[in-house]
Amino acid sequence: MKKFNIAIIGLGGQGIITMGTVMKNAALSFDLRDVSGSERRGGAQREGYVETFVKYIFYENKSEMNDPRKNMHSPMIESGGANALISLEPLETLRGIRYLNKDSVVIFNETPYIPISVRMGKTSYPEIPFIVSELQNVTKNIFYYDFDRISLEKFKSLTQKNIIALGALFAKSDIPIEPSAVENILAEGKGAEENLRAFEIGLNL
Amino acid sequence: MGKSNLFINGIKGDKAIVLGNEAIARGALEAGIGYASMYPGTPASEIIAVLDKNKKYIENLYTEFSLNEHISLHGAIGASWSGVRSLCAMKNVGLNVASEPAQFLSYTGVKAGLVLAIGSDPGAPSSSNEQDDRWYSLHTYMPIMEPSNIQEAKDFTRDAFDVSEEFSFGVVLMAPSRLCHNAGALYFGDLKDRMEIKGDFKKDPENYLNLFGMAVRNHAKYLERNELLKKYLIDSKFNKIINGSSSKIGFISSGVIYAHLIEAFDILGIYDHKILKLGFTFPLPNELIKGFFKGLDKVVIVEEAEGFLEFQIKKIAYETGFKGAVYGKEYFNPTGELTIDDVISGISRFFEKPPPVSFDFAVKKDKELQAKLPQRSGTFCVGCPHRATFYSILKAVGFSNTEEKERDVVIAGDIGCYTLGLLPPYNAMDFLTCMNAGLEIGQAISIFDKNKKVIALVGDSTFYHSGVPALLNAVQNGADILYIILDNSWTAMTGHQKTPSTQKDIDGKPSQNPLNLKDLVKSLGVSYVKTIDPNSVKRFAALIKGALKESGVKVLIAKRECVLQEIRRNKSLNKNGGRSTETGESLYEIQKSRCVKCNECFVELACPAIILKKDEDKVSDYYYIDPASCVKCGVCYAVCPNSAIRKVEFDLRNEFKLSDKSLQITI
Repeated sequence: MKKFNIAIIGLGGQGIITMGTVMKNAALSFDLRDVSGSERRGGAQREGYVETFVKYIFYENKSEMNDPRKNMHSPMIESGGANALISLEPLETLRGIRYLNKDSVVIFNETPYIPISVRMGKTSYPEIPFIVSELQNVTKNIFYYDFDRISLEKFKSLTQKNIIALGALFAKSDIPIEPSAVENILAEGKGAEENLRAFEIGLNL
Repeated sequence: MGKSNLFINGIKGDKAIVLGNEAIARGALEAGIGYASMYPGTPASEIIAVLDKNKKYIENLYTEFSLNEHISLHGAIGASWSGVRSLCAMKNVGLNVASEPAQFLSYTGVKAGLVLAIGSDPGAPSSSNEQDDRWYSLHTYMPIMEPSNIQEAKDFTRDAFDVSEEFSFGVVLMAPSRLCHNAGALYFGDLKDRMEIKGDFKKDPENYLNLFGMAVRNHAKYLERNELLKKYLIDSKFNKIINGSSSKIGFISSGVIYAHLIEAFDILGIYDHKILKLGFTFPLPNELIKGFFKGLDKVVIVEEAEGFLEFQIKKIAYETGFKGAVYGKEYFNPTGELTIDDVISGISRFFEKPPPVSFDFAVKKDKELQAKLPQRSGTFCVGCPHRATFYSILKAVGFSNTEEKERDVVIAGDIGCYTLGLLPPYNAMDFLTCMNAGLEIGQAISIFDKNKKVIALVGDSTFYHSGVPALLNAVQNGADILYIILDNSWTAMTGHQKTPSTQKDIDGKPSQNPLNLKDLVKSLGVSYVKTIDPNSVKRFAALIKGALKESGVKVLIAKRECVLQEIRRNKSLNKNGGRSTETGESLYEIQKSRCVKCNECFVELACPAIILKKDEDKVSDYYYIDPASCVKCGVCYAVCPNSAIRKVEFDLRNEFKLSDKSLQITI
C-alpha cells in the first residue's frame, strides 16, 4: 500500500474546493485506488480560511484493500503527512506548515490577501522572503508563482489560477497520477477549454 | 456530484465522488423516502438541499425547508404515520429545538421508517457550541448510528430505515462536519420503485394518544422495544470486532474517529490489538461488550467530545464484572475537534511509543510559528448589506473601532451571516448564544440596566424561526429596546434557502406566498416600525439615533437582498436572454490626489474590495478599489468624508454605438 496526501489551502472564493473535487475524480476510474479527504468550509465567508485534503491510497491487491487494518479513510492529513501542499495565499502557506515534512513539495501563490488584523494596523503581513525561509527550515522543495497575475494575463480573470496551480503540482512533484487523468476530468466539466489551457500552462511552469 | 446526475440515476455498480451529506441523502433515496425536511444548518444543509434541488426529477418526493426544527421533525413524524418513509436533517443545536418531538417519538413509535440525520460540529467551525447530541438518546431512546466514511454514510442511512420500522424508533444518523464535508468514492446501490410511495394515515390510538395512563403504558412499551433492539445488536453486521494477536489490550471506537484510529495505528506501526468498531453507539448491549472484553486486561475508548461511549461502557464493565481497566478521556481531549493528530498523540502516550520524527517536528514547528502569524477571520462578502448595517449602527452610537473607548450601547447578537459582525473590525456584539437569544436576553437587560440602551439584531430567517413570539413577548411586557431585523430575503449562510421574505427566486420567478414583514411586525403591536435600505448608511445611522431616543419596542427593518443572490439572478437572467436592467456601466474609484487615508472606508467600513497598493516607487502606498472584486454597492462612496471616491459612469451603448442586442453579448 502506498499513500499520496495533498493538502490544498487558501481563502473562501479562490476555488479550493473545486481543486479537491477535480483531484479526487481523477482517481476514480482505477480499481485499486481509493480516495478520500475532507473540506473545511464552515464559516467560509469571504476571506475565511479554507482547506481541502486529497488522500490517494494505492493498494497492491484486492486482499490488502479489504483488510480493515489497511482500509484508510481518515478524512484528515496528520502533521508532517503531506506529500504536497498547494496554497493560493502566501500567509496561509505558513498556516499549512504543519502538514509538511522534509520531502514535501510546496507550491504557493505570491498574491497576498491582507487580513483584517493587518488592515487595522495591529499586526504586519510577513514578506515573501520570510515565508520562504520558514518553509525552507522544513523542506527544500519550494515553488512559488504569481498565479493571480498569470491567470489575469492569460485569461483576463482570476478564476483560472487554481487549475494553473494544479498543473504546477504535476510539473514539480512525483505525484503518482497521470496528468491525463486530470485532463479527462477537466474535459468533461464546465469551462473545459479554458481549464485545459490553464492546466497546460501550469504543467509548463 | 460528477458529470451526469448519478445522484438520481445511479444504479448498482456506479461509482462517483460524493460529499458525505450527499451520500446520506442518496442512502435515504435508496431506502425509498417520500418526505425530506430540515431547517438549514451547517454542516448538515446539503443533505436536504441536494434532494430539494433534484426533486423535479424524482417521482413522489416532498421536500421542505421548514421554519424551524420543531416543525421539521414533526413533519417527518406525520409523513411516517401516513406510511411514507421520512428523512429529517438538522445541525447539532437543532435538536435542542426539536427535542420535544424527539422525546415523544419513542412514546408513539413510527409507522414507516424515520431517520433523523444530525450534522454535529466538534470544534465549532460553524456553530455557537459543540454539543454532542448523542447524550439526548439516554432519554429520547433514539438509536444512534455512526458511519465512519462516505460508503457507510450511504449504506447506514439506507439500513437505518429498516431498523426504524422493525423496532419502531426514529433512528439518529450522526455525522460530524468531518464526514458531512468529506468527499470520497461512493459505490451506489439500487433504488426502490418510487411509484409505490403513497400516504395512508391509519388511526392508532394505542400508540399515538399520550395522556395519563396511556403515556405510562407507552413509556413501558418503548423500554421493551429498546431491549429487543439491544438483543438484535449483539451480533448485527453494524458492530464489528477485528481480532488481534495475543495482545490483552483492546480498543473501542466509532464513526470518523474509528477512521482516524486505523490510520494512527498504521502511522505508528501498531497492528496487533483487538478493535471493536461500533456502528450503533446507542443502545449498547451488555453481551456485545462483555464478549469483546474476553481475554483483555485493558480497554481504551477512542472518541470525540466528553465520553458518551466511556460513560456507557464503564457502566457495562461494572454490570458484567469486568476486572480489567477502562481508559478514555485520560488520553483524548474532551473539547474541540478530536483530530487525527490528537488520536496519534493519545495512542502514542498510551503505549509510550513515540510518533514518527516528521510528526513531532511538524507539530513543534507549527506551534513555534503560529503565534507570529497575523490571524485571519472571515468577513462579509463585498457588497454585503450587513456591512453597511454594522457601519451604520457603530456610527449612530458614536463608536469608532480604532478608538479605545468602551461602546456604551449593548448590542445583542444572534445567529446568521450577520454574526460575523462580532469579529474585528466591528466588534459589534456583546453576547451570542442560540437562535433568538438576542432579543430575549436583551429584553431583560433593558429592564434591569436603565443606563444603557439595548439594540438587538436578528436576521429574517432567524426571526421567522422563533423570533415572532420573542417580539410579541417584548411588546406585551413593555420592553425598551431597539430591534433591528436584517432582512436579506434568504437563509444566506447555509447556502441560500428561501425564507418567507424571499420575493423572487434566482431565476426571477416570484415566490408563491411572500410575507409583508412590516405588516407582521405591526400586527404584533409594534407602533414604531420603519423600513430602510441599509446601504443608505447616513440615513440609516440617523434613523437608529432617532429610534434610540424613543421608549418602548422600536423595530427597524434593514431591507436589502443578499448581494450574492442579486448578482446570481442578474447573471441567470442575462444568460437566458432576458433584458439586462442596466444599460450603462459604472465604476467607483479613489482619487489618489484627494484621499488623505482617513481610514473611513478601509478600516471603519472595511470593505475587502478596497486594498492597499504600493506606489511605483515601492515605498509609499495608496488605497485602491479593486475593480475585479467591487460589486458597485456604492457604500464607500457614501462614507468618504473627503469626496475622494467618485463614481464614473459611462454608457456603453453611446460609447460603442451598439444596438441593444449586441450590448448584452459584450457585457
